[in-house]
Formats: sequence, structure tokens, C-alpha cells
Amino acid sequence: MQSTGKKALDYQNIKDELLSTVDTGIKCARTVDAEAEFEIYLFQRNVARATVEQGVVDAADGIVEGNAVRAAKRNNVSFASSSGISTERLKRSIEEAIASIRSVNIRDERFKGFCEPKKPGNEGAFADEILQLDKERLIEYADTLVKDGRAFDKRILTAGSSCTAEWGGFAIGNTQGLQQASRSVSNTCNVQCLATEGDERRVAYEYDITRERLIRIEGMGRKAAEKAVSLLGARRLDRTAVLPTIWEPISAASYVYSSLGQSVRGEHVVEGRSPLAGKIGKEVANRHLTITDDGQDPSSISTEAVDDEGQPQQTSVIIRSGRLVQFLFDNYYAGIYGAQSTGNASRGGGPFASALPYEATLQIRPKYLKVEPGRKSLDDIISSVDGQAVLIVDAPIGIFHSSVSTGEFSSVAQSSFLVENGERKCPLHPVSVSGNFYTGFRQLLSVGTDLEMTPFTVETPSIVFDGFSIVG
Amino acid sequence: MLEKLEKCVEIGEKLGAEFVEARFDDLTLRTLLRVNDTWKDVALGSREGFGVACYFSGASGYSFTSSGGREELETAVERAFRIAKASAKVVSLRLDFEQRPAVKSKRSEAYPLKIHPQARDLAYKTDLVNRAVDSARAFGESIANVTGMYGELYGHKMFANSEGSSTDWNFELVDLTCLVTSRTDVGDLVNGFGHAGGTAGLELFNTEGSTPEDIGMEAGVHAKEQLKAKVCPAGKFRALIENELVGVLAHESFGHLSEGDFVVTEGSPLAGKINATLGTEHATIVDQGYPDISRFGGLWIPYDDQGTKANKTTVLDKGVLKHYLHSRGTAKYLRQEPTGNCRAIHFGFIPIPRMTNTYFEAGRLTKEEALELLDTGIYAIQTSGGQVEGDGSFLFKAIRGYKVQKGQIREPLREVALSGNILNLLSKVEGATRDLRIRSGYFGGCGKSGQAPLPCGLGGPELVVSAVTFGGEAS
Repeated sequence: MQSTGKKALDYQNIKDELLSTVDTGIKCARTVDAEAEFEIYLFQRNVARATVEQGVVDAADGIVEGNAVRAAKRNNVSFASSSGISTERLKRSIEEAIASIRSVNIRDERFKGFCEPKKPGNEGAFADEILQLDKERLIEYADTLVKDGRAFDKRILTAGSSCTAEWGGFAIGNTQGLQQASRSVSNTCNVQCLATEGDERRVAYEYDITRERLIRIEGMGRKAAEKAVSLLGARRLDRTAVLPTIWEPISAASYVYSSLGQSVRGEHVVEGRSPLAGKIGKEVANRHLTITDDGQDPSSISTEAVDDEGQPQQTSVIIRSGRLVQFLFDNYYAGIYGAQSTGNASRGGGPFASALPYEATLQIRPKYLKVEPGRKSLDDIISSVDGQAVLIVDAPIGIFHSSVSTGEFSSVAQSSFLVENGERKCPLHPVSVSGNFYTGFRQLLSVGTDLEMTPFTVETPSIVFDGFSIVG
Repeated sequence: MLEKLEKCVEIGEKLGAEFVEARFDDLTLRTLLRVNDTWKDVALGSREGFGVACYFSGASGYSFTSSGGREELETAVERAFRIAKASAKVVSLRLDFEQRPAVKSKRSEAYPLKIHPQARDLAYKTDLVNRAVDSARAFGESIANVTGMYGELYGHKMFANSEGSSTDWNFELVDLTCLVTSRTDVGDLVNGFGHAGGTAGLELFNTEGSTPEDIGMEAGVHAKEQLKAKVCPAGKFRALIENELVGVLAHESFGHLSEGDFVVTEGSPLAGKINATLGTEHATIVDQGYPDISRFGGLWIPYDDQGTKANKTTVLDKGVLKHYLHSRGTAKYLRQEPTGNCRAIHFGFIPIPRMTNTYFEAGRLTKEEALELLDTGIYAIQTSGGQVEGDGSFLFKAIRGYKVQKGQIREPLREVALSGNILNLLSKVEGATRDLRIRSGYFGGCGKSGQAPLPCGLGGPELVVSAVTFGGEAS
């Protein structure tokens, strides 16, 4: 076996280099056990990140690289991974994987084999400038964001910023003859500002996520600071009631990811954890709601030619006009359910991605959820409110800790405004917002036009729900 | 391997770094996941790599590599130094070190385990999971899904720095967890949960309360009870908060605010409040790298990732803020002693101030006295996680709960969410029970700054609190 992994591979050749090692690995695996099936995954990513917070700078870079092997024999399936993509490390994983299935009965009667080769989808866009971006530049970006935020208003007590640049690729091969690879780049930044007045402390964020250009930092620090200051002077709601809630894009994205983003995952459907099981074709949401999972949007940082087991990433309509159309699958759960893979196999991906994806076993994850915009602008939505409503402008805390099984959620909106008789009034002290995700989709009132890409791998406009309990 | 780390330090110093730290992780991770009758994951991972931090003019730079080759290590040191120099141009808050005596550990220093995970084969561990799942099925009802999980994480952590420190110790962690989902008559899904874990050998699963049968039974019984549970009413109530959930409060909502990096940047509301009274006399919060694991459970972390020996740090003493949790840089800046809290999840990250085992100290109440003191309110138990904000606001999910009336536990409640602000809550602690428990495990962990999940220990006694906001149904 030839050894790779001595240093960072270049972007143009990374796929060929990784595929070559995968091919060699498959040949090696066959010599270890000719009767077993194998799948080999290699990953390499160049990572640079810089964080500046109140004059403290933390910056780092390195190459994340590793391998993962799945071995299967007579329906016994095992997984082994190790850091590095050298042939020694890969061989070690192959041997560990085969040792597991030889030593214990872990039969999975539902396992039907690794993926068969299919034509890949498309890689996403990439900007050459991201490949050239050095750490010094990232540090400068973060420093500028912080300085801009602090300069906005004397009530900004602290500002912090993180900027990252990443590029790399992965390759997959198996004993079915599949050999695929994909590359991607990303450049991201965020800035958070803390505004204070008396005992009041309010935080606001701004961000940019891109793969087709460099991040645009102009005005971003100021915008975050302005948002934080606008939250000062909050009043208590002083009531417990059921009220409409207007979720701006970032908060709507957190809602969509925590609810449908989980319940349409094939493993939850097949294993009896999703209440959407058995509801294909049925009305599960208001007719204003259409949601697609788009693994082929060239601008999304989740777009790859193939998913993490080598199946083409694709575009899947999940809900059309309120009716459930499709669940998301990898090869394994598609086989059990009687469907085709939707190209949603993932190794620790998503908005809370693993830093070492090769260590993660396969799961199903949405690639990039898109909520179809409606017809009302946010201003129109606000002006149509009769009585009181709560406008939620940031992801409520606790929203990501909800149970897919029950759909019950309870969260605290730290950043919200009271809307009264068609007008946005004062900021509110944190309010508790609770209810049931699935009931919420049925009681959805409208969808806005203000579409935004968010860090939660969801693109959505504002969404208005009725029926949630508010404690303020 | 320590020689390689010492070589990295030497190279960094030659380049001009004022201080260099080098780390090596060689960890093994095993995950077993059984969903109903299917083995979904039988996984073994080897996590091996180097990290180098160079310090220059009050700034740091960090680089990492999974390869131990000479060329790759030299490149990592050079990159770390280059980043430190670039950072020094921007840094305005310097986090220099005090010079300290070298720290030396024994070779492969380890917590004594009776049955190391390496000493048992895979079949032994799959059997643990099978026994938990069988037990859950025996005690549960209307089960839609039962999941059994086993995890182990062990191996070497090595460190060297410019002061001549060299530490070499073994990280050790096991976990057995069972989750049951049951379906109610009207089709709603409810959960039950059982768990045992922490720094221990496999003998842990032979002890009463932590056997696979006990863990499965706990998950099954509680899921069954949830079939009849009601939704928690929304509003403010008196509360009795159970040990695990108290631990989450100690860690998530208070512990993070006391972390030195958050304090030096003034992002924490605890900045500048040493010796301020923040809570009642019943609120004492401690962080400790070496708790009495045999009595209370927890995680053994004898050195942090800057080579500082672990400490017992009383952060809040009877309601009074006494100390922060530090890296060496934040300790010097805030004129306190390093606390052994600078940790990284793995070699891919620079260590930052993180907690080890964080817990409320036990009080004097018996369980009966705590219920009597509560009188009428909500008893909130276990946790499925939560979230906090930098101002101390929190929201945590208790997996289950009960209504309590006149000191008597009444009907069960479904998943209960507690929210509020920790600084406000500390001033409402009326009492603590005698039983301290510290929970730790392989599944889940702390998620600060993208470094998730870092294993930690968290715990406490049960606390009586005069008012907590519960999310639920508005009447």
C-alpha cells in the first residue's frame, strides 16, 4: 500500500489522491478477509480559525484527517476508525473492523449490503480566494468585526468574533465497486455584541456563511451592536397566555431544524420514534408550508457530489402545501422502508457538526432545508396582528433540546419584542415559549418573504405560529 | 512519545516562542448501540494526534497534526509560532504566564480500575447492553422503541512544556445507558431513561443500582409511568430539584459564568464580583478534578491540558463568590491561582477554561425533610439537556417530574422545562439534601466553543428552591 497523508493535498488533486488510497485499501481489505464486504471512507480537511474577544486572540490551524472502515460478513456489521490517512492507520481500521465481526454475534438481519455505484450529483460552488485565505487575514477579519461592534455605542460592553476558512474532500469506496469523492470549501464568520444598561444585559449576533466568495464583514459588527442595543429597555410581559408568535428567519430556522429536521429522518421513522411515520400523503401542516431538502444548492456549504456513503446528493420535497411527501434516507434505512436513498447519509454533519467526522457512524441528516417563501413581508405580518403577539428575533434557548418523539418543546426567547395591534412595541424580558412542534405546523398562520440562509443548515423566511403558551 | 513532545518544545523555543506547550492524545473510543433487536453501531475508534501551542508577546498560536512524523511535527510548531506572531499584532489583552515549578507525573498515572475495559472482550460488552434492553422490556409497557448504548473512552494523554513539565496519565471512562420510548393510548410518545457511568472499570456494572438490569428497569419503569403522566402546568412554582438536574445547573448555568476566559473579557456577569453574595447559605459550588469517585461518582482528571495539577476549587462558598476557573493566562490576569481547568476535547483544539467535576455541596436535609420544606410545588427529575446564555439565563429539560402537595409526591408529570436566571435562582435556594451524587458519562458532554462533547462530571444533592419558572401549558 502506498502512503498518503504526509501533508495537505491540493484542492485540484485531492479527490484522485484520496480515491487512489481508497482503492488500495479495498484491495488490502480483500486480502484480510476475501468473504467479507468492506466500505472505506477517507477524509481530509484544512482548517483555519481565528477568534477575537475583547482583545484576546485565539487562532489555530491544522489538517483534520482520518479514515473509517465498515466491514460486513453474514449480516454482522462493524465500524472502525482512526486518525490519519496513512496506509498503516487505514490497515489498522480494516483489521479492527474485521476483528469485531469475527468475535461476537452482532447480526443485523436488515442489513442488505453497502451502496451500489450510482452517478454522482454535483459539487457546490467554490471560490479560489478561500483556498488562498491565510490565518493572518482571518485574524484581521475577526478583529475588524469586534472593533466595528464596539465602536457603535458606548453601551456595547463586549464584542467577540470568530472566522473560519476550511477546504478539503472525502472519498468512499466499497466492495460493490463504488468509488466516489467530493470536495468543498467554506468561509464563515460571526460576531456577537453584548449591550448593557444598568443590570440589563442583551446579546445579539450576526453572521455570514459562504463557499462562493469571501465573507462580507462590512457593517456586520455595527449591525450586531445595533441589534443588541435595540433589545435594551425591555419590559416584562407579565402574563401567562396563549399568543401568536412571529419567528424571524434565524429563530424559524431553529424551529424547523429541531422539529421536521429530526422527524423526517428515516431512522426515526423506521424505528418508531417519529410521529410522522405512516403519514405520507397526509396533511401535517398548514397549506402555506412547503419544505425541500436541497443537497444540490450550489451556494449551500452542505452541498457535495455524494453523501457520506457515496450516494448522489439530491433535492427532495418533504412537505408540499402542508402534505407530507417524503422522508429522508440513507441506503440502510431506505432498504428497510422500501425506498431509495435520498443521499442523506451523514457522518456527524449538520449545524453542530463533529470536528472529527470520520469518527462518526452513519446517520441520516437533512442537507439543507429550504422553506418556500410566502407572500407577506415581515412588516405586513406585524401590521396584520390583532391584539398581542410575540416577535422572536433570535433562536430561543432550549429549542434544540426537544424530543422528536413527543414534539413537545419548551424554550426561552431571550430576544423578543411585543407586537400589539399591528405595531412592533418594546423589547421583552425573556419569555418562556412552549407547545408542540407538530401542532404548531398545523396552526401555522403565515410564511414571510424575507428568505435567509442561516447557520442551522436551514434557509427560511419568517414564520408565524398560533397556539403556543407564553410565560413572561 | 514524551521525547517527541519535548522536541516540539525545543523547536518552538528556537523559533523564538516565549513559551511552548506540546500534547499527545492516544485514545480509544468504543461505541455500541442497539436499537430494538438490531445492532446499529458496533464501533471502535482510535484518536491519535499532536497539538502544539506557541506563546509570543501575550498571544498564542495553535496547530495540530495526526501524524507523528518529524516533518509534520516541525511544520505544526512552525505554524503555531507563525499564528502566535500574527495574533500578537492584534492582541490588546495579554494573557502571559507566571513562571511555575515543573509538574511531573508518574508514568501512565491512572485511577485504579478493577476491570479495565481492555480486559474484557466485545462479547462481554454487547451482553451488558442486551441485559439492559431485556430488563427494560420486562418492566416497560407499550414500548415503541428501546435503545441500549455502551461507551468506553480510555488511553494516554501526554504533555510537555517550556518549564520542563511532563505529564503522562490515562483517561478512563465507561457508560451504559438505556432509553425507552412508549406510546400512550392516544398515540403520544413518552420516554424513560436509565444510566450509569464515569471513571470506573467494568466492575461498576456489577454494583447495586448500576447493573444492566437496574439501568434497564429504571428506563422501563419510568417510561411506563409517563404513559399516565400529565403535562406540567406553566408558571412559577416552588421546586425540589433532583441531583442530576442540580448538576446541570451547577455546570451549565453557573460553572460557565465562572470560567476565566469569560471573566477576563467581561462577558460574564460574575466579572468583578469576587466576595459578592450571590446566593443563600445553602448554595456552595465546587469544581474538582479528583472527587471521591467511589462514593459519589464522577470523572478523574488529575492534570489539565496545560499540565496544571487538578484542584478542588470552591467557586461559590455559602452564596459568596470566591474563585474563578482558570487557564494559566486567566489566572495571572485575574491574580488568582491556576485551578487545573484548561482543557481541550482533543488534539485538534487549543485548551480553554473548562470544568472538570462541578457540583453543589451537600446539605443537611433528609429527603423527607426536603419534601416537607417544599410543601407544595414541582419535583423535577433527571435531564435531557438544556441551554444557557452568557447572562446566566438557562433552560433545562427535566425528563420527568411530579406534583407535590403538602410534602407528598402526587401525580407524575411529563417532560418538564425549567427556566430562569441562575443568579436569581441561587438567591432562592432554601435547602439541600445530604446525598451528593456526581454524574458523568461517554454519551453527551460539554459543548463550549465548538469543542463538543467534552466529558465532564456534574452533580449535587437535591435542592429546594422557592420559585422556578416551568414551561408547559398555559391555562
